[in-house]
Parts: sequence; structure tokens; C-alpha cells
Amino acid sequence: MTTVTQPVRPALLPTKSGQPIDPVYRQIRDLVYKVSGIYKAEEKLYLLADGCGRRMKQIELRTPRDYWDNLTAHPDRDGEIRHLLNEVTIGETCMFRSQPQLDALRKVILPEIVAEKTKQITKRLRIWSAGCSTGEESYTLAINMLEESEKLLKGWTVEILATDLNDRSLETAKAGIYGDYALRNTSDLYKRKYFSLVDDKKLQVRPEVKKLVTFSRLNLQDDSKMLFMKGMDLIFCCNVLIYFDGASKTKVINHFFTNLSYGGYFFLGTSESLMKLNDQFHLIHFPGTIAYWKPSLRSGKL
Amino acid sequence: MNPSIVATIRERVQKIEQMPAIPAVFLPLLNLLSKSAEDVKVDEVVRLVSYDNTIAAQCLRVAASPLFATAQPPKSIKGAVISLGLRRVETILLTCCLGQAFPVKKWVLDPEVFWRHSLGCAMVCRKFSEKLGAADHEKAYMAGLLHDIGLVVNCLVFSAEFAAAMERACREGLPLHEAEHASMGFSHCETGQALAQKWNLADDVIDVIVDHHAIGQSGTAHPLVALVHLSDLLCRMRGLGYGYYERHKVDLIADPAWAILLQEYRALEGVDLARFTFELDETVEEIHALVATVFGSAPASS
Repeated sequence: MTTVTQPVRPALLPTKSGQPIDPVYRQIRDLVYKVSGIYKAEEKLYLLADGCGRRMKQIELRTPRDYWDNLTAHPDRDGEIRHLLNEVTIGETCMFRSQPQLDALRKVILPEIVAEKTKQITKRLRIWSAGCSTGEESYTLAINMLEESEKLLKGWTVEILATDLNDRSLETAKAGIYGDYALRNTSDLYKRKYFSLVDDKKLQVRPEVKKLVTFSRLNLQDDSKMLFMKGMDLIFCCNVLIYFDGASKTKVINHFFTNLSYGGYFFLGTSESLMKLNDQFHLIHFPGTIAYWKPSLRSGKL
Repeated sequence: MNPSIVATIRERVQKIEQMPAIPAVFLPLLNLLSKSAEDVKVDEVVRLVSYDNTIAAQCLRVAASPLFATAQPPKSIKGAVISLGLRRVETILLTCCLGQAFPVKKWVLDPEVFWRHSLGCAMVCRKFSEKLGAADHEKAYMAGLLHDIGLVVNCLVFSAEFAAAMERACREGLPLHEAEHASMGFSHCETGQALAQKWNLADDVIDVIVDHHAIGQSGTAHPLVALVHLSDLLCRMRGLGYGYYERHKVDLIADPAWAILLQEYRALEGVDLARFTFELDETVEEIHALVATVFGSAPASS
């Protein structure tokens, strides 16, 4: 008989600092998922723990268990969840944030849409970056479309509509000036090709990139204005739905569904999902990422 | 399929017998796995696992992996049999044996990539089976582990032809079985079938090996085949594929296999596919580690 000394998996996961993670964070993870559709996988739990830690410090709570009680039994638990979601999604905005999404877009979706629309006279692609914040996602999309402009999208008109509720974010977005942090995933090649130097620390997106993007203020809850956003081929809405609760979230999602063209795709953040809030969208897997699809009329799947 | 191709496959698969390195316990183990659980004795399994020191040590290491999580990792084979159950120990043994059964010199695929896919699929099949409340989760595991065994046969006896198919799959981003058909006229499903028959594997496992890419055509496949088909797709979309970018999208819920499972297991209605996907990502790192332990070049300790 062979006996081997086994490496035992610690019941408590180590954090970055080497401290074990309290199992209560798994409960918090499930709560966050239930409320927002954002799932922090086991190896990302320390990010959740860090976020909780910052909140606990602010509201002066000592243990994760106290914080759990605050999230579930406190009169202002909804407000606290909102604060926590802010912490959890902080720093997720940067250029080229999700390469699997961009790969799916360029390698699978664009060829499909181009083939689908090839019979139409106007070759026009409409993309909506909903909740664009300071513009990183919108410009990333623009750069990727420019990369295809001499290939798949030759002869096509591309419009990127970028909307946000926050005027200050929109001003920053329009300026298109970014530092190292926002550009940490951007290759040197793209930096040279699509940016110009502002000073030794900052780069600005070039006019040909800006030309593709129209920024405007929009409240996603404004039903009458949402009616004007029709005919989108692609909608990107990353870590925005977390700010809506219950009925208003369902309503916003339904607006997105209506505003998409048949055969169009709806993208959320990398670890974000619609859960079961809409049964008309089809959950589609691409390598390394998921998206939601509004079936084309021809597919007869509506 | 062309009868002469079938004959060639058979003839070449017969040659595999001449390979020296199949572990002595491998064939008795397959025999054991084909019996129903009630007819298997604890001592028989313990004896089989303990027969080869290297394999026994590997089994314990696998059993201690978080993927097979138990409260207390077993320290002896008998302990493993008692805490994990006979069936699970059998499948762990099978996992370890397979790694040694194919000392392929001319791997066309990266062997670690292959084992990650096979083991990943086995894990997903088992998790899926648990979510559905199916009867035999270890059966699902075994089917997932063996579903692509034909790829090893391809490496062994059709290496030049398979290398061309593989190259084409990578270049065009095609699903591997499509590239195999396009360039060889047959796929790992047929070569796997020949080996499975030679090994006298159970009929339902042979069905999985033959039909896991052909659900659409039959439409009446066995639920086990449907389960492996979906798990295979999910693995290929979540970083446990064949090591190249497959340029296609997957709509699991619209897949005929989903309908087959739904008919058999009502529990499928309640499965949140997005969350299941995110949870799968948590196991990817574990699978990498486990494959390095069992199939990689890491020295086996005893």
C-alpha cells in the first residue's frame, strides 16, 4: 500500500497578502451575483474581499460577518450593496479591457453581420456603447473597426454612439486623453497608430478615431429617449446594469432588446450576466466570452 | 463511410496492441468499470489501484485535488475508496491509467492540451450530471474522459494525415472534427470507435465516442451523448479546447442536445447557464495543475 503525504487544500483561500479569506465572502459573492449578475470566480474572491475591506473601513465595521449582516439585515442594505458594487467594478475601465470580446467581435460576429447584410444597399454598422463613462470602451471599439476598415468593413459606414448619464465623464470622454493606467492593455503598435503624444505621461486619441464616435448624454431610464436608439447592430453595456434594481433593470434590458436589430448582439462586462431577467435573448458562447443575441428573423427562433 | 477507410482504421488500430506501455491494471480496470456497482468488491478495487506504486501515488494526488474535493483528503487507497466511493476511485484510476496508456512519441496535438480537454470535459460532465440529478455521475465523468480517445489513435496511427487536419483546423479556426472530415475523410469519432470496440468498452460509452459531434443528425441521441456533446462545446468555449481559436459561436440552449436533456431531466430548466459557465472557469486552473501532475513530466513521488 502506498501512502503519500498530501497537499491539503486550505479551507480558507489566501488573499494577495497571504491572509486567508473568510468563507463568508462566498456568501457575499452569491449575494452580489443575485443582485447584479456579476460573478467573482474563486480565484477573484480576493478582489471582492478587498472591496468589502474598503467598505468596512469606511463604515467602521470590524469583521466580514458584521459586514454580511450590514448587507442583509441593515435598513440601508440596498444602498450598501450599491456601494459594494461600485468597489467591485472599480478600475475595470481601460482600453482593450476584454480581448476575448474583441476577438469574438472581429473573428466571428463581424463576418456574420457582414454576410447577413450583404444584400442591403446601405452598408452601415451601428454600435452603441451604453454607459460609456470616460470613453475607453467606445474608442477601443472605434480602433477595432478602423482595423477592419480596409478588410471586412471596406465600403461600410460605421457609427458608434456613446452615451452616459454623467456630464463630467462625457467631457473626459470627448477629450480622449488617457494615462498609463487606462492604456495598460494597449499595444505599442496601436499607441503609435491611433494616439498622439500630449505630454510625457499622456496620450490622446487621434481625430480619425474620434470621428467614428458620437458622445451624448442619455438616461437609460428615460423611456421616450430610449425609443430613438433603434437599429443597433451591437450594444455594449459594461457594469452599468448594476445601478438599476428589480423592475427598472428588466425595463432597461427590454429596451436594449427592442433597440437591437434582428441578429444583433448585446455584450455585458466580462463576468456579468443577465441571469434570467430576459428570456428573449439567446445566451451565446464565443471562445472565452459570452454575449446575448437577438435571433435573426430568418432563423425563426423568435 | 467508404468501407476501405473503415478497414484501414481497423487494421491500424489493431497495431496499437503491440505497444508495450499500457499499464497492467488498465484492461482489468476497464473490465471492472463495465460491471454494475453492486457487483464490484472494495478489495478488488483497492488491489487494482495498489498494484502499481506510481499509479497508486498519482491516484492519491488526484483524489486530494480540489476537483474531487472531500472534507479530508484520503491518505491511503482504502481511505480513498471509503471516503470517495468505489465508483469515483475507479474513474480516478482510469484517469491515471490513461495518462500512461499512450506514451505517444509523435503527439500531433500538445498532449497537455489534449488531457486538459479530456479531463475538463470529464469534470464538466460530472458537474452537469449533478446539476441535472442524473443517476450515475461517474459514468458521465468516464464518458467525458474517453469521448475524444480517437484523437490519440489519430496521433498514433494516422499521424501525417492528422497533422494536416490539425494544421487546417488551426489555420481556418474550424472545429477539429470538421477539419478531420475535410482532410482525412473520417474523424476521431471513427478511430475512437475502433479502439473502444477493441477494448470492449460499454455500449453507451462507445455511443458517446461515435456520436458526440453528430447530435444534430440523429436528434434521438442517448442523454449521455447529449450531455457529453454540450460539455465538450462548453469546454472548447472556455479555454479547455484544442489549443487554437475556433471561429464559431455556440448556442447551447438552442442545441438539439439541450432539448434531449430537458426531456429527460426537468431540473435543466432551473440551470443558470451563465453562472454555470463562470463556475467552470474556476476549475480551469485546477485542471491545468492536475494535468501537470498526472500527465505532465512532473516526477511522481511515492
